Amino acid sequence: MEAIDQLSVHLEKRPDNLIKAKKEGQKIVGYLPGGFLPEELVLAAGAVPVCLLRGGDSSMVQLSSQYICRWIDTFYRCQIGLGMSGKDPYYNILDLMVSPITDNHARALSDVLSYNTDLDIFSFGVPHMKEPATRDYYLHGITGLKNKLEALTDNRITDDKLREAIRLCNRERELLRKISLLRKSEQVPISCADFVALNHGSYLADKTFMVNLLESVYDDLQAPTVETLKGPRILLTGSTLAIGDSLVLDIIEETGGMIVIEEFAEGIRPYWEDVKSEGDPMEALADCYFMDRICPAWFRPGTERLDFLIKLVNDFNVDGVIWYQLMFRESYKTESYYFPDRLKRETGLRMLLLESDYNPSEAGPMSTCAETFIQTIGER
Amino acid sequence: MTVYYDELFGLCGFQDKEIEKEKVRIEKVFEKIDIGPDDMDRTVKRVNEQFDIQLLGVRKLLRAWLLELLDLSLAKEEKKKVVYYGYPSIQGPGMAIKAAGGEGLYVGCPDAILCHTVGMIFDKLTPMLEAGENGGLPPGHGLCSLQQIRSGALALGIIPVPDLVTGSSYYCDMGSKADELLHEIYGHPSIYIDGSMDSKWGEFPSCDPERIKFLGQQINKLFDKVKEHIGVEVNGSSLKKAIQISRELFSELGQLTYLMMADPMPISGVASGMAINLAAASTGRSMTEGPDAVKTLCGEVRERVNKGLGIVEKGAPRVLNFAQHFSDPGITHMMEDAGLAVAASFVTVPPGKRDPSLTLNNISEELAEAGLRAGVYHSTYGFAKRFVDAVRELKIDGVLWGYQYNCRPIALGSHLFKQFIEEETGVPVLSLEIDLYESRSYGVETLRTKVETFAEILKAKKATETQGN
Repeated sequence: MEAIDQLSVHLEKRPDNLIKAKKEGQKIVGYLPGGFLPEELVLAAGAVPVCLLRGGDSSMVQLSSQYICRWIDTFYRCQIGLGMSGKDPYYNILDLMVSPITDNHARALSDVLSYNTDLDIFSFGVPHMKEPATRDYYLHGITGLKNKLEALTDNRITDDKLREAIRLCNRERELLRKISLLRKSEQVPISCADFVALNHGSYLADKTFMVNLLESVYDDLQAPTVETLKGPRILLTGSTLAIGDSLVLDIIEETGGMIVIEEFAEGIRPYWEDVKSEGDPMEALADCYFMDRICPAWFRPGTERLDFLIKLVNDFNVDGVIWYQLMFRESYKTESYYFPDRLKRETGLRMLLLESDYNPSEAGPMSTCAETFIQTIGER
Repeated sequence: MTVYYDELFGLCGFQDKEIEKEKVRIEKVFEKIDIGPDDMDRTVKRVNEQFDIQLLGVRKLLRAWLLELLDLSLAKEEKKKVVYYGYPSIQGPGMAIKAAGGEGLYVGCPDAILCHTVGMIFDKLTPMLEAGENGGLPPGHGLCSLQQIRSGALALGIIPVPDLVTGSSYYCDMGSKADELLHEIYGHPSIYIDGSMDSKWGEFPSCDPERIKFLGQQINKLFDKVKEHIGVEVNGSSLKKAIQISRELFSELGQLTYLMMADPMPISGVASGMAINLAAASTGRSMTEGPDAVKTLCGEVRERVNKGLGIVEKGAPRVLNFAQHFSDPGITHMMEDAGLAVAASFVTVPPGKRDPSLTLNNISEELAEAGLRAGVYHSTYGFAKRFVDAVRELKIDGVLWGYQYNCRPIALGSHLFKQFIEEETGVPVLSLEIDLYESRSYGVETLRTKVETFAEILKAKKATETQGN
């Protein structure tokens, strides 16, 4: 796909362009994935949001062992490695790192980097339940972030600037949603790898460039000549799908599966809801980013997400579910025990659990499991 | 009439009449746990070897724990409503629910109770752990062993399905998620006390007042839900009653922890750990039997201190151990046998006083503030800072940072704590990966080499310092 090539070129140049922007006075704000940081605030402050979403690198996981034990989620250990390595192009240029504290794995990264580096880290809490009081606490957190960003950039985040940023980000979400929904069709016009590349790209690329790119992708995909894909239809879910963690996608594709929808707490930008344009913009951000979005497994209870998975299975006419589990993310591991029963009961489908610690040696066993599963559901 | 467990219960502080009185209850619970005559020789030997049963206070503590086990296991059969809370949790809410609910209510932390009884005394936790592993908390994934024990004990029918559970969503993800798993299986309601540990590094003991307000609101929510689900109304007066009830026990525990600082260390950390954890795990026997048991123990320990008696050599390096093992006394003994006075634990030095300028609106906010001020629930920095304060105040020679590998809020400090405490105090720290709740993978022999080497380093350092003086 030509757009993917354009995106690759843009992302290749992105670190250098950010260094240039930084020299010209723009502030670079890194943040942890999970969808709890409203990028609109960063954009409205005139800074550049950059998601710290690189993963899949076993050498960085290995490096993290100098700073933390292995019982922490693989992605966050990888981030610790990247943050401490001094070699990551994004960590090296940050003026501020924002750490929404979702669970203890995110806290581990924040604590280790706070102690061992000079990074300016701003943490705010993401409660684990959807209640009026928890929403208020989240709103309090992002209000603190707003103040921090204003101090960092010396720019006031006015309601008008915020609304403008909301419009831009809503457009990005809308386009990602429209492209994703094209996969409900029997004729799937875009591969999961390409969709994930677009979604991942949206975390790093210049926002206006990304919106324009998504516009053209959406137009292209609606053309009648577009080539469509075949294979058993898979829902891929899990905690984190990082940039560079492509093994699972490659294996599913190579073994004949076709991922038609992904659901991840981290690494897939939430695009199902938009920020409301009316009313107080901060309240609207809190509603969209905390109350309205599908909660990750570390919410209590995680029922909403499991309900949503069942809905996706039905809406996207899925043949099987693959649960991609990173090691030691206990919330997901626990749910992976009882969800298959519910899935079977309500949809008749099976689930395959694949686990990863970003270790290259996992490829063989993972491939065998995926192949067997896809063959089995293909015979359905 | 003589029964096969007479000797054991006698060793554990029971009088003959009481054994007779509790006979039916004991046998019902033994049947559930699968304890029979074949287990007795081994168990009696274990109690004789692992506990200082010459001390009446120790025997009384063992008795209190065993009675708590009976109460827990038989709570439903004895027509009680049952509420479980998670470990660790902010002191207070569990006690307040018990104070409000009275005799018709059982409130406790089942997994911690099972560790200290079925594990510590009988060494029979494995079937529960295996049942927990087969029930959705598999091995090899760093899932909490306390939760495996609770899950397994429910699956095996050793403890009753509760009417309500509550857990610390402010601290631990695993506990809340395991509650959710058990809700899926058994259907009982779970009340999650939410919060967020979002203080930045270096901020302690102060915190954003919104954190206190939020946690206080969540504690209030718990009390509302308790009323809704089990009809027990917790209010300011039951909270005050709970504080009054527990004051005597905590006062005795305070004395005990300071007596442990004597040189030579007067008793094993096993005994002090049993006393401290009784208060954390139980709201029943800890209050009825606990104060007398700890008071008796304090008297005996004082006597030993006055006579200059101890269980390690005088001048042995004084070590702060994060927490004593919950189910395997052999691990604490191994540390002591290595020549370490494992005298202090994390809780030996109480937290600082409340900032008088803080405005707190209700008793739930007071509980929340006190919980956060204790450090563990505040932040990694707050947690580590409490260690530093304790090392300085107690003139500690070394720290055994036995981090619970499958408890994320603790494990995330695996390396940080060592770095931070050593940099702040200059005192050597051994970062020791451990499972404080069960010892299948982290047993005495797997830990011994590291602990003995650390002990030699501390002894050599102390000898050099003494010569230097």
